[in-house]
Amino acid sequence: MAARSPGSYSRIVSWLKLLLPLVALGLLSTIFLFARNADPTANIPVATARDLAGRASQMVTDPRYSGTTDSGASVTLTAARARPDPEAEGQIRAETLEAAMAFEDGSRIDLAAPDARLRDSDDEVQLSGGVTITSSQGYRLTTDSLTAAMTRIEAQSGGAVRGEGPAGTIEAGRLRIEETGSEGARPGDVRLLFTGGVDVVYEP
Amino acid sequence: QGTSVAFGGMRQDSSLPVEISADNLEVDQSEGTALYTGSVVIGQGEMRLSAPRVLVVYGEGAGRIQRLEATGGVTLVSGDEAAEAERADYDIDAGTVEMTGSVLLTQGENALTSERMVVDLDSGRAQMAGRVRTVLQPQDAEGGGPQ
Repeated sequence: MAARSPGSYSRIVSWLKLLLPLVALGLLSTIFLFARNADPTANIPVATARDLAGRASQMVTDPRYSGTTDSGASVTLTAARARPDPEAEGQIRAETLEAAMAFEDGSRIDLAAPDARLRDSDDEVQLSGGVTITSSQGYRLTTDSLTAAMTRIEAQSGGAVRGEGPAGTIEAGRLRIEETGSEGARPGDVRLLFTGGVDVVYEP
Repeated sequence: QGTSVAFGGMRQDSSLPVEISADNLEVDQSEGTALYTGSVVIGQGEMRLSAPRVLVVYGEGAGRIQRLEATGGVTLVSGDEAAEAERADYDIDAGTVEMTGSVLLTQGENALTSERMVVDLDSGRAQMAGRVRTVLQPQDAEGGGPQ
């Protein structure tokens, strides 16, 4: 076959045979070489400290604490919810707290309050927001605030106390519940001490 | 020998409410006794009984006071008469106050002393017993003493 004249057509084709694969290779490489700016770590759902602080993460529901004093009386605290107090370190805030003091001879004193602050270091619970005190001796009293010990029988009202006693209505400047240390008292003998002026009205 | 004198002058209804006011009240949780201390004043109607210590003795049944035991020097005032003694037991239901221990009853200028006196608040009468002695103030001519 006759030698082909090196016509322009076949020159073009031979160049194209070289150029076209190079272009294809270039296109192919753009898939890998150009870095996308998408940062893969951005959308992993990680909760930062900022989110956690907003929500009380250590909320306890229906907490229950009970202790017995060395005189044999038992103190039981139950609440609807309890969580660490954000403002004060080492302090727990509880809602609708009920404290029950049951004594050896079967008598008992119940305290209930909508708001309470417990500090374990000095085993004390501060009830506030309207405390009701019910004694099995027939006393039903209310006061604004009350401080009670958790491992022994001792409670002190913040201010005036009002309510019903077995002998009729009673009002006093302050109420103190404590174990009788007086002479001739058996251990575990508990007394309610109303001080600061007492007024009782008895209907015969 | 006993002497019966009028006391307090007017009848008193013993079902009136009794007010007890004091500095302190101590309630024993097991027995349920209530002890008022510190200038205790028991008031019912016209009658005022004041003493440094009053113990409440509850009767059977809830909320029934059987009697109030006032000790340590008691003053009973009713109307314009006053009586003093070491101790007084006030039985609310019966409406009687039994005073014992060097009782001194003063009526106007007259004074009677005895060991024991039982005052019936309803009828306004007082029954004195035990070495009753009367001290009469001589009245001037036109007055005329009550005795």
